Amino acid sequence: MEWLIFGFLSLWLLVSVFGTLFLKNPVHVILAFLSVILAIAGIFLHLGAELLAGLQLIIYAVAIIVFYVLVITTIPWEKVKKFEGIYKREALLAVPFLLISFLPIAYMVLEGKFAVSERVITEGNIRSVGKTLFTNYLFPFEVASVILLTAMIGAILLGRKEE
Amino acid sequence: MTEFWVSLLVTVIKVLVVLGVFLGVGAYLTWFERKLAGHIQARLGPKLVGPFGLLQPLADGLKLLTKESIVPAGADRVVYYLAVILALVPALMLFAVIPFGPSFKLFGVEVKPIVADVNIAVLLVFAFGSLLVYGTIFSGWASNSKYAFIGSLRKAAVIIGYEVVLGFSVLGVILLAGTMSTTGIVQAQIERGVWFIVYQPVAFVLYLFCMLAESGRVPFDIQEAEAELVTGYNVEYGGMRFGVFPLAEWYLNVMALSAIAVVLFLGGWSGPRIFGPLSPYLWFLIKMFGLVFFVLWLHWTLPRFQAKDITEIGWKVMLPLAVLNVVITAFVYYFV
Repeated sequence: MEWLIFGFLSLWLLVSVFGTLFLKNPVHVILAFLSVILAIAGIFLHLGAELLAGLQLIIYAVAIIVFYVLVITTIPWEKVKKFEGIYKREALLAVPFLLISFLPIAYMVLEGKFAVSERVITEGNIRSVGKTLFTNYLFPFEVASVILLTAMIGAILLGRKEE
Repeated sequence: MTEFWVSLLVTVIKVLVVLGVFLGVGAYLTWFERKLAGHIQARLGPKLVGPFGLLQPLADGLKLLTKESIVPAGADRVVYYLAVILALVPALMLFAVIPFGPSFKLFGVEVKPIVADVNIAVLLVFAFGSLLVYGTIFSGWASNSKYAFIGSLRKAAVIIGYEVVLGFSVLGVILLAGTMSTTGIVQAQIERGVWFIVYQPVAFVLYLFCMLAESGRVPFDIQEAEAELVTGYNVEYGGMRFGVFPLAEWYLNVMALSAIAVVLFLGGWSGPRIFGPLSPYLWFLIKMFGLVFFVLWLHWTLPRFQAKDITEIGWKVMLPLAVLNVVITAFVYYFV
């Protein structure tokens, strides 16, 4: 039964990814992107990474996409750049890069062995993530928080009205 | 393999029971609210259809179902219909993580009266609670109407602000219980013999405010604001498609968030066993509908805040209070 759930989620994911790429209306694109995020959260849940699934929902599906949605829906439609057709030259340029990155990945998938983690997670996801975050990765964690704080102060400065 | 099928069957039954009960109760809450509003305002409320007006929800439902449906010109049809689903689904998903009682044995199979007993239940509550915002935003946008769009933007601003406060207010309880599973939180309260409202009174009050804001109830109902916005984001919807929005937002969401409040602060299903074997469930429902009644009571008593006041209170008063509450709880829990 495992493959059925995985197959369903992957199919959903792929369909929404193509929707994100090829739909023309920006609001439809953002809806397709939301669907991508939900499908990924489903795959995380299926793999037993509950915390990741929850964070995926809270941070990406809600916090980040809401702001995209707010910006996109409030744009005046008359000023939006119209669809100009698919960029043919750029698409052709992308083909060699795609091939170069696809070949080694295909080779690795066919020839290599998938490593299976020997550490079995016995305690809850949240507890283990919290422990590693505050012991092994304390410094990067704090640096990230400072960077985010800087970004926030910058956003407040930019968004402030001059008095 | 049979174990798998049994657990699948049990889950399907649980889902059907929860959906049936709460959609039905949600419909009847409309009758209860109108009756209550009537008596608060010294009038009678619905009384003509059936005894005490009890058949009124059915009559309303029939009326909504048989209405002509009009899609406004220039509306984005796909998103217009999708918004209805986006509003209803997260509200129903909230019920998946609510434990209604202790586990029991039925025909030798252990049954937990909760649809999904996951370790991240509280995180899922935040996630689904805020996913509700998409139903509002897209319904306002797809209607191609200024009133609807202003209403939906107001609601989005409120939800974004109060979701943060909600998260921080609940953190204190998670610290005390040491788990994010809803069943685990209730167990922790039963083991200590104390409801967490005793340790976290500030968090409880903040949670109540956030509950009102998230479900768009008075005094936070600026997205509806009949006097200024007609009725806000759902003004262009007709028939049952209109009916779904208040059902999801005003009834299902209020019930689900009240149930979560009972789990987090009021000891879940704990209580003296005075109703025999059914007492845990009855206690849970009594506490839950007590909170729902409180929300309805406020709705027909208070006036409405201004839009700018709501976000200001949320960010400048409630968020610092919630953070302070978390810091103090952590210190006390660690050192005492």
